[in-house]
Amino acid sequence: MNWFQRLSKTGRMEKELDAELRFHFETQVAEKIQAGMTEAEARRATRLEFGGLEQIKQDCREGRGTLWLVSIVQDLRFGVRILARAPGFSVTAIVVLALGIGVSTLAFSLYNIAALQSIPVRDPATLVRIQRRSPENITPGLPYASIAYYRDNAKSLSAVMATMSAAPMVLNQEEKRVSATFVSSNYFSELGGSAANGRLFDAARDDAGSAPVLILSFRLWQRKFDGDPSIVGKAVHLGGKPATVIGVASEGFASLGTDDPDIWLPLLQHSYFVEGSKPLADPKFEGLIAMWGRLAPGISVPSAARELLLLTNELRKIYPTVIWDHEYIVITPGAHFLSFEGGPGAPPVLALVGLLVFLILAIACANLGGLLMARGADRQREIELRFNLGARKLRVFRQLLTENLLLGSLGSIAALPLSYGVLRLVLVYSNAPAWMSAMPDWRVFLFTSAMGFLAALLFGFLPTLQMVRRKKNRSLWHQFVVCAQVGASCVLLILAGLLVRATLHTLYSDPGFGYEQVLSIDPGMSEHGFASAQAQTYLDQLQNRLRAVPGVTFVSIARVPPLVNTIVMMTSIDVDGRRIMIYPNWVGPEFFQTMRIPLLRGHYFHNGEKNAVILSESLARKRWPTEDPIGKQWEKSNSVVVGVVGNTRAMELNNTDATEIYYPPAADDFPAMSVLVRAAGDPNTLTPAIKAIAGSIDIGLYPTITLLTAGFRKNVSIVEQIAAIISLLASIAIFLAVVGLLGLVSYAVSQRTKEIAIRLALGADRIEIFAAVLRRFAWPVLLGLIAGVAITAGLSQILRRALYGISGLDPISYVGAMAILIGILAAAALLPIRRAFQLDIARTLHSE
Amino acid sequence: MSTPSKFDLPQGTLDLLILRVVALGPIHGYAIAQRIQMISKEVLQIQQGSLYPALHRLENKNFLVAEWGPTETGREAKFYRLTAKGRTQLKTETETWERLTEVVAMILQHPLGEPS
Repeated sequence: MNWFQRLSKTGRMEKELDAELRFHFETQVAEKIQAGMTEAEARRATRLEFGGLEQIKQDCREGRGTLWLVSIVQDLRFGVRILARAPGFSVTAIVVLALGIGVSTLAFSLYNIAALQSIPVRDPATLVRIQRRSPENITPGLPYASIAYYRDNAKSLSAVMATMSAAPMVLNQEEKRVSATFVSSNYFSELGGSAANGRLFDAARDDAGSAPVLILSFRLWQRKFDGDPSIVGKAVHLGGKPATVIGVASEGFASLGTDDPDIWLPLLQHSYFVEGSKPLADPKFEGLIAMWGRLAPGISVPSAARELLLLTNELRKIYPTVIWDHEYIVITPGAHFLSFEGGPGAPPVLALVGLLVFLILAIACANLGGLLMARGADRQREIELRFNLGARKLRVFRQLLTENLLLGSLGSIAALPLSYGVLRLVLVYSNAPAWMSAMPDWRVFLFTSAMGFLAALLFGFLPTLQMVRRKKNRSLWHQFVVCAQVGASCVLLILAGLLVRATLHTLYSDPGFGYEQVLSIDPGMSEHGFASAQAQTYLDQLQNRLRAVPGVTFVSIARVPPLVNTIVMMTSIDVDGRRIMIYPNWVGPEFFQTMRIPLLRGHYFHNGEKNAVILSESLARKRWPTEDPIGKQWEKSNSVVVGVVGNTRAMELNNTDATEIYYPPAADDFPAMSVLVRAAGDPNTLTPAIKAIAGSIDIGLYPTITLLTAGFRKNVSIVEQIAAIISLLASIAIFLAVVGLLGLVSYAVSQRTKEIAIRLALGADRIEIFAAVLRRFAWPVLLGLIAGVAITAGLSQILRRALYGISGLDPISYVGAMAILIGILAAAALLPIRRAFQLDIARTLHSE
Repeated sequence: MSTPSKFDLPQGTLDLLILRVVALGPIHGYAIAQRIQMISKEVLQIQQGSLYPALHRLENKNFLVAEWGPTETGREAKFYRLTAKGRTQLKTETETWERLTEVVAMILQHPLGEPS
């Protein structure tokens, strides 16, 4: 028998051991009887010879090498019995733990899917993302000229792929646009992708000169073509250009990065689908082409980076204006959904989420510690008995720790389905790629078990130690628990309050501009390679024709139409050493009337006015707090301030102290311009006319028409979602705090039952007793509140930068959260005290 | 019991004796004790408290395997049998023991008072 068999067959082995020794015993007795003893004598003599039967058995068991585990099993069994004996406590404890661990498991699962799991591609370990950097510049993309040069010359890369996301495109004249990504022809074969239907791109067949082709995503194929296999080989119109569908990617195909397009197109055919574009030919092309590579066998990331740096220096000789000074190449793992090197905003958000999640776990543990403590009081007699029967301290400690670990693992087990369910909902709701699965993998299991273990240590270690030491005074730990949970709940409540208030603020306060009746038209000229003069002509024609449409009141051009783009530009100036962040925009003369932004001083731009800027009031006041800004020179430019307009929250809806600067458009800006149209009535009625006009001026363009109200709703819904999540976390925290405080106050009352009874018998005032019990919690609650407020005030600065510009010190949120918390805590305290008042005084005093 | 012939066996010796006795053929615990006692002419008496832990130890080391079977009196008993591994162990242990006793004897037989 091996170790595991010996372990698993403990029952049988016990029986056999017993039978074996019994056989020996009986044989010996029989022999003694044969030798002439009476049976009674023989048994007595044999028993004496045998000595302690139990001792022999124990020695035999030790030989198996499984004893330590068996005793743990005993402890566990005992623990299960203890937990089953108090189902109320056990269920509460497990629910508390499941919530605490579940929230952290959910957060970890999301992080795991996004950043730790490899996407399902062939050989993910050698797949890398390649970006260029310089001390001054960070950009995710590379010029195609560089990519081609690296592809042809780098020996450390066995393959190079390029991807380029396109603006949403019109498919077969349908209203809802589809997202498309241009990819190099080796994209699918390098990633090991398979086709659900037809074929995928083939480097030999799909190049610049061959017939235009496209590949559908499985999702689009189902949605638009009902999964009809005969679509393969048929022609569709994409952006007005005919192209043949050659295949459908399999459902589980994973795109690189966060890209999850409806359609893939050959990068080499870019200038066919986007007329006039030259991303491949023009090394100065400003689009974002991402580069991916496969490390050649045996090549490490640093050695590949070294080789690419050498090639970069060669490249500089060919394209001196394209390659930056001190440019170098950054290589990161490519087979993940997210990699956090890229986004500068990501780490603080990650840290914030981590902190919130840990807070929930800490609250859960602190509360469970309180419950455990209260229970310790009930179990004091049991533990005392075990000590009296000769149990060693360490043994009892181990037994209690085993119970805690049991609770911890039950909590983990309950947390897993909880987190799985929520994660599934999240994935479905967020329209996640099909390969993302809510099923926990080994990392999640490991994390959850570790959390259960950590929780068991956090909630159990100190109370258990005190139980075993049989110390009566546990008030310090109590007070710490109360302080910690009040503080943590406070943080979550205030944050929830801040976010809810921010949402309301966004929804119901004046953003400083009128967006309701405005449409934005983005012709997408820069993607189509329009030159400045050509773009200006187009814009002039478009504006003139739009002005003639009945129901249109104002028309203007703007480089950054409000609420439409998710990416906005920012610049900054330093005033007396303080940095002011500014949203710049390049706008036509009628922009302010179109957006209903009031003119406060000076004048709007005249037609064709140069060297002029208009400031928002907040910026003007920050730059020249006491002087009149009109006529002043703007910073180091040769522009003069000609006007001051009202503040708007156009670029960042939640940021009430946003500042703006407006420039008249320079020649270079025209291809990037959008057109804004203000309608007198319902803007929806104008859409068909506008579409007809925009499409007729240049048939190569497919302008995107967006209602600003739609952009507004989208902005608000993001804020709402985050507020909802934080509110949910806060309600979990409150629930946990209530459970924990109930336990603690029950314990405090049970400790002083006799005292309360005596006082009641002597006719003391109930309110006074109530106050006396609660007084011990006053300080820790106060300290917890102060700590919570301090932490939140710090955190809100991160929130402000990373999520929205809410004022992090909004008094209503703070005071409201504290009031709610104190109210709930008082209510939680009242319950056990009420119970104490109903106690039978005579009986209480008689016991003991 | 005639004489108090109990003396402590050196560490590991009991295991060797058990292996040797079991090598004669399948045998149960009681008979092992009896046989050792008999062969040693009542000099060695194996206590149950040492015998069974040793048997179990040897079984767990896979030197012995056990099977339940009837004795001559018809009772069920646990019979131990030597494994191939046990046989090798017996051989090496025996050799070690012989060399050890030889060496010990050599030293002990060395006449006293003579310089070596």
